[in-house]
Amino acid sequence: MSGESLIGMGERVVALARRLGADEVTARVSRSASTELTQRDGQLEKCQESRSLSVRASLLVDGRFSGHGTSDLRPEALESFLKQAIDATRYLEPDPHRGLPELAQMGITEAELDQVDTSWFDRDPQERRAHVERLEQTVSAHPTRVPLRSATAYVWDGHGEAAMVCSNGFSVQESNTSFGHGAMMTLEDKGGRLPEGYAFYSSRHADTLPAIDDIAAELVGRAEARVGSGPAPSGRYPLLLENRVVGRLLRILLGPMGGTSIYEGRSCLKDRLGTRIASPALSIWDDPLIPRGLGSQVTDNDGLPAIRRPLLEDGVLSRFLVGVYNGRRLGVAPTTASTSNLIIEPGTRSLSDISEGLERAVLVQGFLGGNTNPTTGDFSFGIHGKLLERGEPVASLSEMNVAGNLFGLLERYTEAADDVWLHGSWRTPTLLFDDIQFSGS
Amino acid sequence: MVRHRTAEAPLSIAQPSAADGTYFENFGVGPELLRRILDTALSRGGEDCDLFFQHSAGTVVQLTDRRVNRADTHVDLGMGVRVMVGDQVGYAYSEELTPESLLSAARSAAEIAASTPGRVAEAPTPRSKPNYYNVAQPWSEVDMATRIALVRAWEQDAFGRDSRIARVEAFLQDGAQVVMVVRPDGRLYQDWRPMTAAYMRCTADQNGKRESATYNVAGRAGLEYYDADRQSRLVEEAVSRTTFLIDAGKPPAGEMPVVLAAGPSAILLHEAIGHGMEADFNRKRVSIYAASMGKQVAPSDVTICDDGTLDGARGSLNVDDEGNPTERTVLIEDGVLKSYLHDEMSARHYGVAPTGSGRRQSFRHAPIPRMRSTYMEAGPYDPAEIIASVDKGLYCVSFANGQVNIGGGDFAFYMKQGYLIENGKLTRPVKDVNIIGNGPDALSKMDMVGNDKVMDEGGWTCGKEGQGVPVSQGMPTVRVQSLVVGGVG
Repeated sequence: MSGESLIGMGERVVALARRLGADEVTARVSRSASTELTQRDGQLEKCQESRSLSVRASLLVDGRFSGHGTSDLRPEALESFLKQAIDATRYLEPDPHRGLPELAQMGITEAELDQVDTSWFDRDPQERRAHVERLEQTVSAHPTRVPLRSATAYVWDGHGEAAMVCSNGFSVQESNTSFGHGAMMTLEDKGGRLPEGYAFYSSRHADTLPAIDDIAAELVGRAEARVGSGPAPSGRYPLLLENRVVGRLLRILLGPMGGTSIYEGRSCLKDRLGTRIASPALSIWDDPLIPRGLGSQVTDNDGLPAIRRPLLEDGVLSRFLVGVYNGRRLGVAPTTASTSNLIIEPGTRSLSDISEGLERAVLVQGFLGGNTNPTTGDFSFGIHGKLLERGEPVASLSEMNVAGNLFGLLERYTEAADDVWLHGSWRTPTLLFDDIQFSGS
Repeated sequence: MVRHRTAEAPLSIAQPSAADGTYFENFGVGPELLRRILDTALSRGGEDCDLFFQHSAGTVVQLTDRRVNRADTHVDLGMGVRVMVGDQVGYAYSEELTPESLLSAARSAAEIAASTPGRVAEAPTPRSKPNYYNVAQPWSEVDMATRIALVRAWEQDAFGRDSRIARVEAFLQDGAQVVMVVRPDGRLYQDWRPMTAAYMRCTADQNGKRESATYNVAGRAGLEYYDADRQSRLVEEAVSRTTFLIDAGKPPAGEMPVVLAAGPSAILLHEAIGHGMEADFNRKRVSIYAASMGKQVAPSDVTICDDGTLDGARGSLNVDDEGNPTERTVLIEDGVLKSYLHDEMSARHYGVAPTGSGRRQSFRHAPIPRMRSTYMEAGPYDPAEIIASVDKGLYCVSFANGQVNIGGGDFAFYMKQGYLIENGKLTRPVKDVNIIGNGPDALSKMDMVGNDKVMDEGGWTCGKEGQGVPVSQGMPTVRVQSLVVGGVG
């Protein structure tokens, strides 16, 4: 199978499942190749080569639905796998909401997403080794104000392809490359503590990764910021949520927006569509069409054309995340079940300008554990970061929690800084929320 | 329970009846090819290597909207090859078990070394091993109708138990894998690993308030796992955990004494202590416990083990993923740090025997030291006495998740369900709060250990370096003098 096109493989799976008795079939074929190198304290620690090819098939048999995945693609094994899958499906109860969308609804958005960096195909293994070595050496050689215990650098790159072929004639194939590097360093602190700092960067193209010298300095700063950390007194503080961790907190919005949560009534947002749930200053857009975006795509998971649309516009909840299946269960038009690139527009002031105007604030740079209750919107997360007074760091924070309710958090949003993070599918600046509950000492 | 024995059991891998070491001959992998792959892996001067073959399959049957209307199956097949030179690792895998593809993966992994062959592989010989899995009624003999009937009965039971229950979702999952570990010193272990899990989520309404909660159970077992007690507990816990939340409030914020209920609270052991004992972190000198061996790290009533040999436990293994026997490893004995959890690489570094803790998610991953079943042994105190000792604090009953920073030692675990303790008594029900502490600090503050050790039956999966592995845990009631509770006000 390995020489065949992904669409061709998908067509073969669809035809086979149809022949074996399935009424409707969606075959998803994915193939990937990647390499990851790790170098620790002066020595190459690990080199991993990954090559994968697998098939997933969603079946509708006499109105009954099932999903199946396999990496055993030997022709006789695949046939017996699909046969067993179809036999098992016949025992289920029918689900009238399952089935492919109308072919007319399906489609591919015309857009140049620039997802493939062709330099990947000519990459040189020696150059990759040199890259991870240089990164680790640069990080390790950077002066630190407390002793360095250990530094580990990571370099990875890969190429992925995915095809979707449906029995109603729709098919689409997408591919992308990814590149990344980053490092983790451990410093020696008092009391035997070994604070860690880390930073990782990904992108679709090699030339948009930040330079090694820049990230070394940043990394050291992040590790040093965690030396001598501890909890500040419990209380309410302005929350500055650093650009790269915005998604870690704001994704608590996505669970209750999901079609399944809405349908099952397990969502604090179920009666709030079209109403204001956040500060009017807050808008969040879902944009699948950004060139080089890490979440970009031309169709959604159901094969509907990818569309740029808001989740929140001026504080108003604009949309639930509803795929074709939940759309039918809810009796509404589908709006795509998952998100792509999530965008919050930058403001005009820098993080330091904003923090200088605050008497005291907590800059959150990372999270530890925690969870949310999507039915009530309550959340509680461990955090680490810095206590700032008029913009000056006065303490390094750990062993603290931030807690509250989704609505309270969104209502207290006040401002975005000018520093959009480009190395994740949340492309957001640092955000300021006023008057948030922290617990500590 | 009615059992239907028909030919229509869905996808399952039955326990191989042929001799160990022969299963993958069905895929064309025989002794001669194994030797060639080992030789290729060592062809550039690798000092050691391992081959990890895996064939896994499983089925999930799901209920929603009062219908059992979805099934999922999966199959995975492949081999991973790891080549080691000192502390350096080359890793590659193949999803095709053809000679060309397997040898190509071995050549790729071999690239970590850069000299000439120094070692010739011995002929792989199957080794015997104990059996810690309990399977009386294997899933390969259980048909779809039986699975469907089970899940539907759970739903009916849930609706019958409490009129506030508005929705039920449930699933039954079963799977098995055959793995084969082959080493150049002639070791060959083949292991058939069964697993089952059941899950239920309830949603309840009362006076316009709505809440939802889940319960799940998991073990290395067959259909017999779901005896009447287990089924009843699955449903009762899912229902009561849901209705509990309707009346529960938020705990206050700040530092306070925390009493951990017996059983699921062991997520604290897993996060606060277990990960820091994984010897790769210590070998790399980045664990907060890196210099603590032989030292008193906890009060003398505290004994903590990690054990791969508990009958039928989700975290148990007959042999680890590097081909080493599993065992009961005492991490902390009477408060003194006794052993880390070792894979072969860390064991070599420390000059000790491996503890059978080398695990991996699948053939796509290199093994690293991991926990299996982590538990604290019982201590001297009556649980009621422990609760009565606290003036103002928190009693934690159930949990959702946890996390730890290895070097800093700070850890967090998310409590789903608990009670305030006021004047030595459980009072207001509370929910949804993250609790945070520092590992060595929390360990030193475990000053009362109960006599009521309980192993949790929940289906925990531990994530580390992108690999998820099944684990179990347990503990008696324990008082921790002080942790930070992330409540409000």
